[in-house]
Amino acid sequence: MASATDIRTETPPLREWNRFRFPASLYRWGGVLLALTFLTYSIIYLNIPLERFFTMFGRVGELLADRYYPPEIDYVLEADYLGSVVDTILMAYLGALFGMLLAVPLGWFGSYNMTPSRHFVYPVARLVTMSARAVHETIWAILFVTILGFGMMAGVLALTMFCIGFAGKLFAEEIEAIDMGPVEAIRATGASELSVMAYGVFPQVRVAFTGIGIYTWDVAFRAATVIGFFGAGGMGWYLKRNVLQIETHRVAAILLSIIVLVLVSEAVSAWARARVAKAK
Amino acid sequence: MAVTETMDREVGRIIDQRSKSRRVRFLIFLGVMALVVWSVKATIIDDTDWERLITSGNFLESITQFLGIDWALVPNLVSPAIETIMVATLGTLLGVVLCVPAIWFGALNITPFPPITYPIARLMMTLSRSIHEIVWALFFVAAVGLGALAGVLAIAMRSIGFIAKISAEAIEDLDPKPVEAIRAVGGSEFQVFIYAILPQVLPVVIGVTIFEWEINIRRSSILGLVGAGGLGLVFFRQLNTFNYEGVTTVILAILVLILFGEIVSYFVRKAVI
Repeated sequence: MASATDIRTETPPLREWNRFRFPASLYRWGGVLLALTFLTYSIIYLNIPLERFFTMFGRVGELLADRYYPPEIDYVLEADYLGSVVDTILMAYLGALFGMLLAVPLGWFGSYNMTPSRHFVYPVARLVTMSARAVHETIWAILFVTILGFGMMAGVLALTMFCIGFAGKLFAEEIEAIDMGPVEAIRATGASELSVMAYGVFPQVRVAFTGIGIYTWDVAFRAATVIGFFGAGGMGWYLKRNVLQIETHRVAAILLSIIVLVLVSEAVSAWARARVAKAK
Repeated sequence: MAVTETMDREVGRIIDQRSKSRRVRFLIFLGVMALVVWSVKATIIDDTDWERLITSGNFLESITQFLGIDWALVPNLVSPAIETIMVATLGTLLGVVLCVPAIWFGALNITPFPPITYPIARLMMTLSRSIHEIVWALFFVAAVGLGALAGVLAIAMRSIGFIAKISAEAIEDLDPKPVEAIRAVGGSEFQVFIYAILPQVLPVVIGVTIFEWEINIRRSSILGLVGAGGLGLVFFRQLNTFNYEGVTTVILAILVLILFGEIVSYFVRKAVI
């Protein structure tokens, strides 16, 4: 009897579709297990005394109350120290300025859409920015101190390297995000690469570059407060001296002054960036 | 006639304003240049030992010292490199755990009592971000003694600010409907957090954590300078024994480590997000 009602009614095999070969929970628990194993192993490997971690809070409080309190505020108000603060500000200013002057061409060469040659200049510029960024600012400071001797020049150069890495990457990313229309228009008139940069790209990134510049200064100041620790001038030197002499009340005062100065610089930079963004 | 007169006046006013703004700009430029000259004089000219640099050719000599690789050191770098990675990882994880209260208090739409908890969280974030890792490490070395624990704690404290800030901003931008839905069925504040907020912000948090981990490798590679273990300690020893080729080797090892971190974070980010 063959009719239209003779439809095969057997159900398809019961198998839920799944993108994983094994149940997803297996992957999840496997991942958690792996992470826990790594965690335990690294705690053992690093020889971390866990019991110290739990008694730490009491000890930190004790330490602060006994040794660091009260901070010797008079020390940070002495003329010597205030002079070193001015030095630090100058160092950060110069380092950020030189760094940004070098970072602008590096950003240009290191942006994939505007670089003069994608096979040679682009990777070189990328490599320079990456290595300047990868090496920590304190290592730069130590290297320059070893080569040039103690003093603020080493600090300025260390901050310059730091700012090249920091600003170069942000500048390149900013240039990569531009609208290519004006660039093509200026290229079509037969302008040189430099004029394309000046009239096609620069007006588009001007505001962003100013913002990045202010932020770079802020970050450079943060770094400048400690590179003196390794002999590169500024207030870090006072920090090191007092740490070594175990003048804990002075250390506390210096740390407080660093925190206050960084907060002030952050507030100033946030205000300036807001102004720049508004002027856009 | 009146029209041309007002137009003339208007044009005159604009020209006047332009020359004024040009004058102001010129003055600002002069001020900036004077500041540059002054700071170059104060920092570079006055504060450098020029005799030492120029007369004895010390400068070139001290640069050439660094050229070359100390191959004998390479096997001794493996264990500190692993330590550095572990300190960075543990520090980042601890930082994420410590972040939770900061994120909870610091997002304006879920903070329990805005006038008090919000400023506290913001202050925590700013403090954590603005204190340099060297300073944190010095503090924790004094508190818990030499060794990796101080490094882990320093990294964790330094990471809180950035992770918490980005995550709190993500929470402030989230879609309020699931929150309302969970509230409507009588969920507690904690359940609201787990079922309505967490699923929405988790990708952002994971992304920013991976990014911070990458930066933390760079940070943990220098914490040894102040006594917190890892590659920084080897660097410090090589420098103090005047083995400058060893210094170059350690720096290259740090570069390799950071490259490794970038590759890992690229793949993890692709797999998770």
